Amino acid sequence: MLEYLFKRLLSLIPVLFVVSIAIFLIIHITPGDPASTILGLEASQQEIDELNELMGFNAPIHIQYANWMKNVLKGDLGDSIFMRQPVTQAIIEHFPPTLSLAIIAQIIAIILAIPFGIIAAYKRGSVIDTTLMSVSLLGMAIPGFLLGLFLMLFFSVKLELLPVAGYKPLSMGLWTHLRYLILPSIALGTVQAALITRMTRSSMLDVLYLNYIKTARSKGIKEIKVLLKHALKNAALPILTIIGQSFGSLVTGAVVIESLFNIPGIGQLIMNSIVRRDIAVIQGVVLFVTLVYVIVNLIVDLLYGVFDPRIRLDGK
Amino acid sequence: MRKSKIFKLVSLVLCLSFILAACGQGGTDTKEQPPTNEETGAKETQYKDTITVAMTAQPPTLDASLTQSQVTFGVAGNIFEQLYTMNAEYIPTPELAESVEISEDKLEYVFTLRQGVKFHNGKEMKADDVVTSMNRWLNVNGRAKALLEGANFEKIDDYTVKLKVTRATSDVLIILSTRSLFPTIMPKEVIEAASPEGVKEYIGTGPYKLQEWKQDQYIHLVKFDDYSPVDSEPSGFSGKKEAPTENIYFYFVTDHATRIAGIKTGEYDVAENIPLENYEELSTEEGVTLYSKPSGSLNAFFNTTEGLLADVKIRQAILAAIDANEVMLVSYASPEHFTLDPGYMNINQPQWAVKAGAEYYNQANPEKAKQLLEEAGYNGETVTLLTTKDYQEMYAATIAIQEQLRQVGINAEVSNSDFPTFMETKKDRSKWDIFITSNGYNVIPPQILAVNPDWAGFSAPEVKTYLDAIRGASSDEEAQKQWANLQQFMYEYGSSTALGHYNSSMATTDKVEGFVFFDQPIYWNAKVAQ
Repeated sequence: MLEYLFKRLLSLIPVLFVVSIAIFLIIHITPGDPASTILGLEASQQEIDELNELMGFNAPIHIQYANWMKNVLKGDLGDSIFMRQPVTQAIIEHFPPTLSLAIIAQIIAIILAIPFGIIAAYKRGSVIDTTLMSVSLLGMAIPGFLLGLFLMLFFSVKLELLPVAGYKPLSMGLWTHLRYLILPSIALGTVQAALITRMTRSSMLDVLYLNYIKTARSKGIKEIKVLLKHALKNAALPILTIIGQSFGSLVTGAVVIESLFNIPGIGQLIMNSIVRRDIAVIQGVVLFVTLVYVIVNLIVDLLYGVFDPRIRLDGK
Repeated sequence: MRKSKIFKLVSLVLCLSFILAACGQGGTDTKEQPPTNEETGAKETQYKDTITVAMTAQPPTLDASLTQSQVTFGVAGNIFEQLYTMNAEYIPTPELAESVEISEDKLEYVFTLRQGVKFHNGKEMKADDVVTSMNRWLNVNGRAKALLEGANFEKIDDYTVKLKVTRATSDVLIILSTRSLFPTIMPKEVIEAASPEGVKEYIGTGPYKLQEWKQDQYIHLVKFDDYSPVDSEPSGFSGKKEAPTENIYFYFVTDHATRIAGIKTGEYDVAENIPLENYEELSTEEGVTLYSKPSGSLNAFFNTTEGLLADVKIRQAILAAIDANEVMLVSYASPEHFTLDPGYMNINQPQWAVKAGAEYYNQANPEKAKQLLEEAGYNGETVTLLTTKDYQEMYAATIAIQEQLRQVGINAEVSNSDFPTFMETKKDRSKWDIFITSNGYNVIPPQILAVNPDWAGFSAPEVKTYLDAIRGASSDEEAQKQWANLQQFMYEYGSSTALGHYNSSMATTDKVEGFVFFDQPIYWNAKVAQ
């Protein structure tokens, strides 16, 4: 197990290296430069060139990369030229809102999706199944930002129950914290819920008609127990995979929802940095996001062994 | 056995996420957080102690001398002041200076400073600070450097400074008073510690001081208790600043829909930059006050140096084809949001609002255009219109013009990219023929982009001659005449065209009092009723 963990972590290094080169090249191929952003629309070319020179953006690309890599290996992701703070600090400040949002959205998604998926599979072909599947199709089809706008209009503007946008940290109290995250979490969670519902249903259908379920039923075990203990557990792996993927995408920043609800998370950070051509931040965040994604996947892989003891990660 | 394993694992994951969340919070715990509206509302005073503003973007810096960014000026105007500033009639009015004496030859300006003015760090503002600040401004602000080439400030005594300029012009005080050039006065030490990217601390003399800048979230300003206001009626950027509200929060809310929803619910007291398509909706909303005023012009710039449009006949054909009314309607939704006028300068500023070149403006004459194209021997070559969807009005206008050009038989193509790419591509004149930008007003003609050779490559030598004549004019009338000549020349040359003048809109809740929407929103006398 430990050996497996170690191998997986080791395999991270080339992944991060390739990602870093790719992102470095993409940023530098993209036209636009940070000095223009700082100086504004009407700055002269001379001013822009001067500032770029001073900030070291006129050096050849491989030199810039080498300098950056050297610092990264020392644990220094560089400084944001726009925010005037270390990139690491920017990430640390922008991660909590995203993490909170991801956790709440994921909880909403799971609470909705698993029961719905089980019911739809159990009542296969019935009106309930058709309704649930239609609703989940709608949930997948509706763009998150549109749902977010509807939620904002209804719950904030019409009913005035929840704040329109913004973010308050947990330190200001749990309820204050949650109030600002409920709507964006629903907007995000619904899309994920639709996905997980469908996966749960099809995964359950795969096992519900197998012989061991019939055996369990014929032994007189209660239906609920058959469903949850015998069927769900065996159907868990694909569901777990999809939950892992969905959490991975949530925790690495929901760009549109974060900017709609003005949540200063990783998604906003990366979007703003791209607009500002704040190169150090873009690189730092992409590395961070890759790392988080890989770790989430690793955790999912480890969980496989828990749900299905036949899977042995050490290969013995 | 296995159950407990699962239980342990789940608990571990949960614990981990809480620890992560808690660690993450650590960074923000210690800092002061903005109070919510409910909290501020709980006090029993008549007015709230906080005004919340939703602005469109985070300023790139608050070091206003360095940038041309409008969002910077909006916030920095509360923190910093200048020697002279503009009143509502665009007349230079003393702010940190008490008075000025101008030598007969117009080459020396002696400013007497106000005494007892304190910086936010408690230090008194004296000549050393002013000289250091102003000389830095003359050095780092590209436009100041170009307009006042070779100028220099020096100290006479603690409360007197002298500006020496190398050319006698009529607009020196105007330049010093211009908000979009913003010669901010900061303490000498702050200027000396500055790096090329800007100063490291934002310390000014204004009615508000910077309390906290939370990246990508908000800027929090608090009232500066030792502020010493001038004793005159508020007018434009000048006059008494009272700071009746203790805190101003500028939230960065990029999404229009969110700003609008926020002003409806009172989450924000002020929402900057209301898109025109939402103006109608908000104007019927109870409890919301709208402000709208002309704030710039939409202009089409032609590539006079390279490609097809290097031929003046083709440019004139394009001018003949353009229906400015249609373009403005497409870009700004309704006639109440724009004004058709051939001028490049502020239509509310009588000094420069001239109609020279009107015969070339808004011609909407396809027949003439076709004839000119034939004379020029146009043969279906592609005309590239460069644009960006990041600015909706620029994109909409580009599409409208593309269609108008197609109507007269020009093979017009649109090249669209994000804003930084647009700016970068614009530099390469082989890649475009026409681009359209919306440009905020400037105070004097030499500042406008339409006469700036860097902007679109328009570098006819006549421009410089006219600009010199404007700046060296002996009277306002003479200057105006010269400007009219230049504007006429630009239209005849076909270097660019104004398409129209657009209004900017803002919204406040009707609980906001004392707020003024001048060239920028003015918050220092604003307060919000409970």
